Amino acid sequence: MTSLATKTGIDFRPSNVYGVWLRHWLAFKGGWLIDSTAIVIEPLFILLAVGFGIGRFVEGIQGDLSYQEFVAPGIIAANAMWPALFNCSWGAYQRMENHKIYETMISAPVNLSELAAGEIIWGATRAAMTTAAVLIVAMILGLLSSPLAILILPLGFLVGLVFGGMGLVYASIAPTQHSMMLIFTLIGTPIFFFSGAFFPIDSLHSGLQPVAWAMPLTGAVHVARGLSTGELGLSHLYGLLYMIGLASVFYPLAFILLRRKLIT
Amino acid sequence: MSDTQTPPIIKAVALRKDYGEFHAVKGIDFEVMPGEIFGMLGPNGAGKTTTMRMLSSISPITSGRLFVDGLDVEKEPRKVRDRIGVVAQHDGLDPDLNVRQNLITYARYFSITGKAAQDRAREMLEFFGLDHRSGSGIHALSGGMKRRLTLARAFMTRPKVVILDEPSTGLDPQSRNRVWEQLNRIRDAGATILMSTHYMEEAAQLCDRLVIMDNGEILSRGTPDDLVMEHAGSLTAVIRPNNGNGLAVRSALESMGKVVRDRGASMVVHGPEQLRGELGQIDNATVRFRISTLEDVFLNLTGRELRDE
Ligand SMILES: Nc1ncnc2c1ncn2[C@@H]1O[C@H](COP(=O)(O)OP(=O)(O)OP(=O)(O)O)[C@@H](O)[C@H]1O
Ligand SMILES: [Mg+2]
Repeated sequence: MTSLATKTGIDFRPSNVYGVWLRHWLAFKGGWLIDSTAIVIEPLFILLAVGFGIGRFVEGIQGDLSYQEFVAPGIIAANAMWPALFNCSWGAYQRMENHKIYETMISAPVNLSELAAGEIIWGATRAAMTTAAVLIVAMILGLLSSPLAILILPLGFLVGLVFGGMGLVYASIAPTQHSMMLIFTLIGTPIFFFSGAFFPIDSLHSGLQPVAWAMPLTGAVHVARGLSTGELGLSHLYGLLYMIGLASVFYPLAFILLRRKLIT
Repeated sequence: MSDTQTPPIIKAVALRKDYGEFHAVKGIDFEVMPGEIFGMLGPNGAGKTTTMRMLSSISPITSGRLFVDGLDVEKEPRKVRDRIGVVAQHDGLDPDLNVRQNLITYARYFSITGKAAQDRAREMLEFFGLDHRSGSGIHALSGGMKRRLTLARAFMTRPKVVILDEPSTGLDPQSRNRVWEQLNRIRDAGATILMSTHYMEEAAQLCDRLVIMDNGEILSRGTPDDLVMEHAGSLTAVIRPNNGNGLAVRSALESMGKVVRDRGASMVVHGPEQLRGELGQIDNATVRFRISTLEDVFLNLTGRELRDE
């Protein structure tokens, strides 16, 4: 029974998207030290432990790449997933169910399409922050040979859009707060480890390879690796398009499901 | 309605809300005039919140029509929300923002930003006695302070219509009195207020007109005084029979032609001033007289106690 304008999405106020984003920025500034510790330290640990710890036992993996050079772009791209997923699933669920902030917003003249956009774009902003931090360290360590590697930053933002949308979809269908954990254990973790960040997809059983490629992170890891070596082909374009496609499916799905949940 | 009258600022026509098979609001009609404080009084589950949620367009209407400031809520929900301020039954405050940021962030959704938002926030915090807490986190506020902050937030945008769902629940008597005074001042400044409450005292003191709701229906409506006169007369006799004399006292009263209502261990009889003389010497009972209140109206209409919470 929403109006035609709302249904068709014509009645869209970008200023509200910015308003929601700004809310997150204010909240982030309030506790930035704790938040940034989490988003910077953790990926650095993984990069160092996996790259230089495990990496020492691994021979050159793909062509002439050392394991460190192989794994660094993968870890950077894959890590962008976590802050976006966390903000838009667990965080969104808290805001929606426990604090009723979404109800406050939609009782004000904010539509759910704008609210969802603000949430997802903030998730992507957080993804870009962690990407930037680890990218800089990896560059200093000389793990990324091509200057194109700087483009991993916008790629991290795109990863954030995809997983922000996915998280919000899940938050709007999760029956309980407890079930929110499942998106990390059942979805996040397998995607993280089987996205090709840590080992090449070709080394998986051939039956599993299509599954791995279909995972929403694999394309991004593939593109990140292309950007870091500077060797790009059509497959990287496909990876990019796949990510864009996923983001543009999750976003409308998220606000439609949110509407179903909240407008009762 | 004649042309000379001002049109109502809120108008509900046969407004209905079903949740599946359950009828939460059963086709109610009411009109709120500009500049008045209009009350909805009713026990838990009466349908007050449901009606208010339909007004703020976050709950779809099952059937009937609803207008705010001449706008059809179903056709132009966003324009309606541009014009209203809402205090929900739950606070809906943002725990990740401090007091001032809660106000500023909310105002932005109404395109009030920058200095205008800062100034208004300061003004509202002062008005609701929270100016010394503007930098506090929400978790550091008492329940009553949170309630006042939600009021400050609703009034940030100078809304034409304010919808307050139990604004004074959880306030101590001083804060409650203060909020009443503030709502009166806001009404005098020209805003229209639609509020629900469980407090008879609040409804009597504050509301120009009110409806009494139960089970999704409006049982009665009018000014507090009219409702009292209509349903409980001006005077109420509270009759407490001595031990074991309940039935005798009751039949004595009934033989005088009085309608006797049970109130726990006591009985009440309503009537005009003459009641004092008539019931002055009832045997085997203590009789006490008091002014009738909305509470009497409510109990007579719903046949039960008004439950708080
Ligand atoms: N989302 C929902 N799904 C099903 N039933 C609902 C829903 N929301 C409210 N109800 C039912 O509708 C009825 C009216 O509820 P409402 O919240 O409007 O009452 P209320 O008058 O505000 O009561 P209270 O004084 O307790 O706040 C209740 O019986 C309630 O259980
Ligand atoms: Mg209620």
